[in-house]
Amino acid sequence: MFTLEFLTNLLSATVRLSTPITLAAIGATICERSGIVNIAMEGIMIMGAFFAAIFAYTTGNPWIGLLAGVAFGGIYSLLHAFATVTLHLDHVVSGAVMNVLAFGITRFLMVLIIGHPGTTPAIPMGLGRYRFAIPILSDIPVIGRALFNQTPIVYLGFILVAFLTWFLFKTKTGLHIRAAGEHPLALETIGVSVYKMRYLGVFISGLASGLAGAYLSIEANVSFTEGMSAGRGFIALAAMISGGWHPIGAFLAALFFGFADALQVRFQVLRVVRLPEELFIVFPYLVTVIAVAGLVRRSRPPKAVGKDFMIERSED
Amino acid sequence: MMAPVLLALIVILGAAGTVLYLASYFWGGLLLIAAIVLHVWRVGLLKGSGAVRELVRRSLRSAAVPVFGIVMAILLGGVVMIFSGYNPFVAYGALFYGGLARNWHISVLNAAPLIFTALSVAFAFKAGLFNIGAEGQYYLGAMAAAALSLYMPIPGFLAIPVIFLAAGLAGAAWNIVPAYLKMKTGAHEVITTMMLAHVARYLSPIFIRAFGGDPSTSTHPYVTTRIPEHTMLLRFRAFLPEANARLHTGIILAILVALAVYYLLYRTSMGFEIRAVGENRDAARAQGISVGRNIFRALLIAGFLAALAGFNQVNGLDHRLFENLQAGYGWNGISVALLAGGNPVAVIFTGLLWGTLDAGGQYMSRTTQTPGAIVEIVKGIILFLIVARYIYTAFSNWRKRRRSRAVNVATAAADAAGGAVRGEG
Repeated sequence: MFTLEFLTNLLSATVRLSTPITLAAIGATICERSGIVNIAMEGIMIMGAFFAAIFAYTTGNPWIGLLAGVAFGGIYSLLHAFATVTLHLDHVVSGAVMNVLAFGITRFLMVLIIGHPGTTPAIPMGLGRYRFAIPILSDIPVIGRALFNQTPIVYLGFILVAFLTWFLFKTKTGLHIRAAGEHPLALETIGVSVYKMRYLGVFISGLASGLAGAYLSIEANVSFTEGMSAGRGFIALAAMISGGWHPIGAFLAALFFGFADALQVRFQVLRVVRLPEELFIVFPYLVTVIAVAGLVRRSRPPKAVGKDFMIERSED
Repeated sequence: MMAPVLLALIVILGAAGTVLYLASYFWGGLLLIAAIVLHVWRVGLLKGSGAVRELVRRSLRSAAVPVFGIVMAILLGGVVMIFSGYNPFVAYGALFYGGLARNWHISVLNAAPLIFTALSVAFAFKAGLFNIGAEGQYYLGAMAAAALSLYMPIPGFLAIPVIFLAAGLAGAAWNIVPAYLKMKTGAHEVITTMMLAHVARYLSPIFIRAFGGDPSTSTHPYVTTRIPEHTMLLRFRAFLPEANARLHTGIILAILVALAVYYLLYRTSMGFEIRAVGENRDAARAQGISVGRNIFRALLIAGFLAALAGFNQVNGLDHRLFENLQAGYGWNGISVALLAGGNPVAVIFTGLLWGTLDAGGQYMSRTTQTPGAIVEIVKGIILFLIVARYIYTAFSNWRKRRRSRAVNVATAAADAAGGAVRGEG
């Protein structure tokens, strides 16, 4: 049973299933590093998934769908930035409303565009068809075949993990974003707008979550289904915390959750033990709880995360 | 001398009016109005006309936000309808007729579970916690209620109270893990309760299959057998012959629980401690209030309240446990609680409003030949309602800041003027 073939498939599935979680989690890391709590990933993902599917369906081109998913994720996240940064609303409340709103908006638009709620018609061409094997790397047994014979957004995920880590720790803007979450007043004192950095942080998170949504609807599937994110936005939140508010950590944690999910599917199919299938489905959710409980003490959130920052401008 | 008699009269009129109104006897509303008029008169009698004016001004001010929000949402919804090619007058006509008159009983039926879950979310809010997984506790309550109703030989008159408590305790127990983790490790309750909500959702089919299902139905693995008569909640029909046959007294229970939650929060020392922790943890700790213990208590009580919605669903409405039991009360409860600003008494009204919009939306979609679509518009309106409140809070924040700035400028000017005067002298 545990052949090389099985192992390769398991690893490959792990990477695939963790991709949306990775994307949302690294986005959330940037967002929380800038000081804004983001529990709206679920909603942003739904928006991204919906618009990706709609654009891919109407234009017939999945790449346009991909761009649309990313763009609408970014645009929608600006609402969260506006509510929390400009209007000084509670971050968690705003995030919760964003999630509710996303379900309502997609449902309404779906009835308007498709004519019924539920699932959109299949898109003519999904990104899942574009499977690239990277020449030499994919010849490595097990790991190579699992990691380097994947679909476009999976690769994009790898690239983004590296890029955002570099961006956050090696660039000046990244430093400013981190400062906005650690010590906003100090940042403001050196003349950098905390508001702008926080907007940027939320926006990056929106783009990444939008991409995660696009992955769900046009790469892993070929249509959009209501509620298809199924709690992944919250699992991403858990991955971010377990990963210690670090993009690489978030990536590893996401891989772990992806692994739990991949394992769950295999257990269910193989019937290793005779148990109701639902017990396997809940496995990743339970793992999330355990991970958050076990790892949270060792990781430290950004100092000013969730704290409102208000500049008192004096009229003189 | 007269005051206690008046108070008793007001309470009786109010209670009778509420029961009658909710049971679709709309003239019960007259009793409610009479109760309100008497209350105002009583305040005037006891405290003078100044107090009456203050009372009226305060009620108007607290009504301003929701009314503004609702009107805004209806206008925005109308605009959306026009742009998507529907007639807002016809649609809204059907919505209000369906929700407030024709299918009022469905509005009330919808409202009861929403009030329970919203109370749960609102209660956690008061402790500075976000019980986003009320849906899971709702499922647990429903499962516990179904199991006890079906398999526990409880004598008739005890059955309802025992099941009520047990269902609530099941929901509270479901929150022990998130509460303990929050207290000990700080694991965020948004993640833990949310994840456990997903777990609870998948437990119900296991539960139903374990109990065999009802072979007399076509969907028997997914629904349990009918619960015995004596475990069902009393129906309005039992004492009001013209009430709708399905309308049960769960709504009265919901209102009583809401009042109890209000009492617990604002009239007991436990409520004070919980609110203190919610307002400012450090200040509470400095006062010698145990933050951990109150977080634990608050999450358990929140679980209890959400689970009552499950009890209401099984023993009041369905009389059996469905696998997919009208899912969404937990999630919608969050919106209802946000709409009420976390106030347990306001939750009664926002819950009824939500239920009305849902029932009206269904009626509208059935009568105006555009199935689905219009219900979604209604859902859109509901969401806009929240956003409108959102904007209002921001607006009042902004105004407050402006005003304080103006005051600062004024005092600065006064200081300067004073300095000038002193300088002169």
